[in-house]
Amino acid sequence: MNSPAPLARPGNADILVRALRKVFRQKGSGVPVVAIERLDFTVPRGEIVAIVGKTGCGKSTFFNILIGLEHPTEGSIEVDGRTPYGEFDAFRGRIGIIFQQDRLLPWRTLLDNVTLGLEIMGIDPEERRARAERWLHRLGLDGFLRAFPSELSGGMRQRAALARAFAVNPEILLADEAFGHLDEVTARQIRGQFFEMVRAEGKTAILVTHQLEEAIEATDRMLVFGRPATLLSDVPLRGCRPEDVGGLRARIQSVLESNEPDPEFATTRESS
Amino acid sequence: MADRVPERLGEAVEAGDVGFGGRWPKETIVSLGAFIVLWQLASMVLPPFVAPSWGRIGQSLLRILTQPDFIAVTVGRVALALAVSFVLGMALAMVMYRWRGLERYGMPFIKLLMAVPVLCWILFAVLWFKVREVRIAFILVVVCAPIFIIDVLDGMHGVSKELRDAVRALRPTARQFFAKLILPATVPAILTSWKVNLSLSIRVVTMAELVGATSGIGYALMQANETFSVADVFAWTVVLVVILMLANIAVTRLERRLLVWRE
Repeated sequence: MNSPAPLARPGNADILVRALRKVFRQKGSGVPVVAIERLDFTVPRGEIVAIVGKTGCGKSTFFNILIGLEHPTEGSIEVDGRTPYGEFDAFRGRIGIIFQQDRLLPWRTLLDNVTLGLEIMGIDPEERRARAERWLHRLGLDGFLRAFPSELSGGMRQRAALARAFAVNPEILLADEAFGHLDEVTARQIRGQFFEMVRAEGKTAILVTHQLEEAIEATDRMLVFGRPATLLSDVPLRGCRPEDVGGLRARIQSVLESNEPDPEFATTRESS
Repeated sequence: MADRVPERLGEAVEAGDVGFGGRWPKETIVSLGAFIVLWQLASMVLPPFVAPSWGRIGQSLLRILTQPDFIAVTVGRVALALAVSFVLGMALAMVMYRWRGLERYGMPFIKLLMAVPVLCWILFAVLWFKVREVRIAFILVVVCAPIFIIDVLDGMHGVSKELRDAVRALRPTARQFFAKLILPATVPAILTSWKVNLSLSIRVVTMAELVGATSGIGYALMQANETFSVADVFAWTVVLVVILMLANIAVTRLERRLLVWRE
């Protein structure tokens, strides 16, 4: 369990989403509900991608398939040839997740919460303590190693959740509206720390977000999901100038509101 | 579980009012003080076999406390039976949690056991077992173990989906998932169950000791009743209440230590 073979093969795409479809059956009535209609895209290694979409557009379902908690109805998500839901154990320690709420275990101290993933990986106690302390220090939580989550503010708890996600040294980081429940100032601060750490560590990251402007400024690319989830637009953002932000924001917003494919994206896709 | 709610609420009130580990609230002191005064007044008017004075009860208490064997016997029976009930209850709850089919088939049977009145269990114990200690242990275990099973299982099922998903996403083995999430999350339910069973077992053991035992508080109560010694009955009642209070204080302290993480 200590040293599984690395998933990544140099030169390959990190995450490959192919003809992904997910249909639920409503409890009771059994009526099928399409959460994901069709998704096709790739996320190369080291890229930071934002996913935006209206509430109920299937982002969280996509997220759950990507982290391996649900199976798709059709199609697949592969990370270097392996599916996170099919080869569940192979991804132990490879994906770091930050959920909408901190989801810290209330009976564990911050330190013990951060070591949880490392315990599961079978890392020895000294090493996991050192790693957890390093990440908690990096996130400004040195004085709270022995504090319980209930003793801390929402922002501090979410920072501890970041430390938990990074401490396992994952290849991929996923954040599902991870900062949306915090006040704007705290959210901006922690989001900033998240992007800084993702860049510094060279991780691949996918974050589901509602914060268009910050996502435009901080990520490499934005995927716009329709409802049910299909890809309405795929907007490259690397090298985006500050003066472009307003225009891009308006374009993405108009796509979201119309729930129709972005004309620019359609043209690019056809020509490629 | 709905059928157990009234009992649980009653237990909670009892545990909170009598068995807390901290300072006594004003209302409790006033209420107990009023009872003591009223009883003393009643003892002045009524004959001693109806309402003995606190002086007589005190004399009985002193006599009891110089011969604590019966107290030790009853406490020993309760402790052993609760330990057996807890181990059995935990084991069965874990097995039922692991194999849901067993839960579906086993739970109706457990609910059936819980619906049987204690008096019936006492009669069955007399019919089925010869050895007195086995009878008493059987009665206590058959009454307490189902409560442990139901409370612990409820606690296990009550772990939120959010926490389950968060821990599952770290990809633990089944054993790790249980040890690191399900079991610690069930600790509050386990402690509540202990509180309920402590007070229940103290009441049930005295009834069980009425039938066939030649030692213990229940036996002593029966003897006091046969000799019309109301002071002794009262003194033994005081002893039982104090035992329950001390046990509740112990559990409350343990609870504070184990659940220090709660807000």
